[in-house]
Amino acid sequence: MKGAPGLQSRLLTAHEVGDSVTLSRLYTEAADLAEAEGDRDRAAFFLTHAWVFALDAGSGTADVLQNRLRSWGRC
Amino acid sequence: MSLSDLSGVLQPIERARGLPNEHYTSDAVFDAERGPLWFSTWAGICVAADVPEPGDARPVDFLGVPLFVMRGRDGVVRVFQNICRHRGMILVTEPRKIEGAIRCPYHSWCYSHEGRLVATPHVGGPGRNTHPDIKPAELGLIEVRSHIWLDVVYVNLSGDAPRFEDLHAELIARWAEFDVPLHHGGEDSRFQLECRTNWKLAVENYCESYHLPWVHPGLNSYSRLEDHYHIELPGKFGGQGTEVYRQLRGDDGEVFPDFPGLSEKWDTAGEYLTVTPNVMLGVQRDHLFVILLEPKGPRSTLEHVHIYYAVPETPDRLRARNTEQWRGVFVEDIDVVEGMQAARGAPGFDGGRFSPAMDGPTLLFHQWVAARLQAMETAAE
Repeated sequence: MKGAPGLQSRLLTAHEVGDSVTLSRLYTEAADLAEAEGDRDRAAFFLTHAWVFALDAGSGTADVLQNRLRSWGRC
Repeated sequence: MSLSDLSGVLQPIERARGLPNEHYTSDAVFDAERGPLWFSTWAGICVAADVPEPGDARPVDFLGVPLFVMRGRDGVVRVFQNICRHRGMILVTEPRKIEGAIRCPYHSWCYSHEGRLVATPHVGGPGRNTHPDIKPAELGLIEVRSHIWLDVVYVNLSGDAPRFEDLHAELIARWAEFDVPLHHGGEDSRFQLECRTNWKLAVENYCESYHLPWVHPGLNSYSRLEDHYHIELPGKFGGQGTEVYRQLRGDDGEVFPDFPGLSEKWDTAGEYLTVTPNVMLGVQRDHLFVILLEPKGPRSTLEHVHIYYAVPETPDRLRARNTEQWRGVFVEDIDVVEGMQAARGAPGFDGGRFSPAMDGPTLLFHQWVAARLQAMETAAE
């Protein structure tokens, strides 16, 4: 991903070990980068993953992420 | 399928014959039993101690029906059909703790611990998580009616059986004094036994004390045949009891603490009954055991044994001795139930006979089976 050195490899590592907390954080980072680049569709795609992994982990950030998606009309 | 004539089973004990051989050997009969003997009543699938902590989930194969049992974040144990409402992917494939949502591994649809569908990622396209034709309120997990009694998790798959408390009111009342906090003894108080036998033969053996002097000679010194009594409630339950239960004593004379508030009867009594179809229970003043039968086919059964105590902490060595003592007794039964199974290929056998004095509870079980199967055939006609 542009402007995200090592993000892809960090994501793959987190996927390999099933670390949902880290996956949620990294996908949020990817969403933030995409939004900063003006690509709402890509941002929503990544934020969806961030939200799902927050749900998976039982993280308190799940509601925050879902609300952000709602604000974009994506949830 | 049309079952063999069961009218011989439904005779008074003096004339009754047992279930025909095919009820122990036939794949078709085994399949035919699923509805009337298992799905339409309350069958045991596991114990609540199998999911001790919030988030614990465990898959259960209930005669080919995939289920999972879960203790929710709210502490409630629920049973669901083990299938995602999207494309039908299995959700729980091994015992594990689900900290957050129940997430389908295929397309990540997520469910709450109560079974509500809470996320349908990309269902409306990439990054679009809703679609007007996908209504989460209609697509929650399929919960299976369940009930917990004496820590056993029972399910009624058909959804229309009488309430467990009503169906088994007499047994619940009989053993009301044991409806107290039960403490699973832990890893050294659970074991499994594989039996090359039809599950019904395990129940039939458990019904009766007639075999005790021959198969369990260790009991003869203190629990003679005459010390045992039948327990019979036609159509409901059958089994046997002893009037001379003797507590296991440790090297220092220690015993397990009694369940609180027991009446005098239980100073020396032990009772052993089956909650049909498949949960065999034993109660004594200081411990209780569950033998949950899991049929693997018409000729194979896995017995899941669990032992419970009145308090969370019991002496390790005494507990281990108790487990081994019961394991020894149940292993002694395996030879005879496997022998009963092995002989079921004999074409001249007419189902056998029942001693009017000694085989009453066993016949009650045969008649429970026969009556339910006949009712199924009548309904189908």
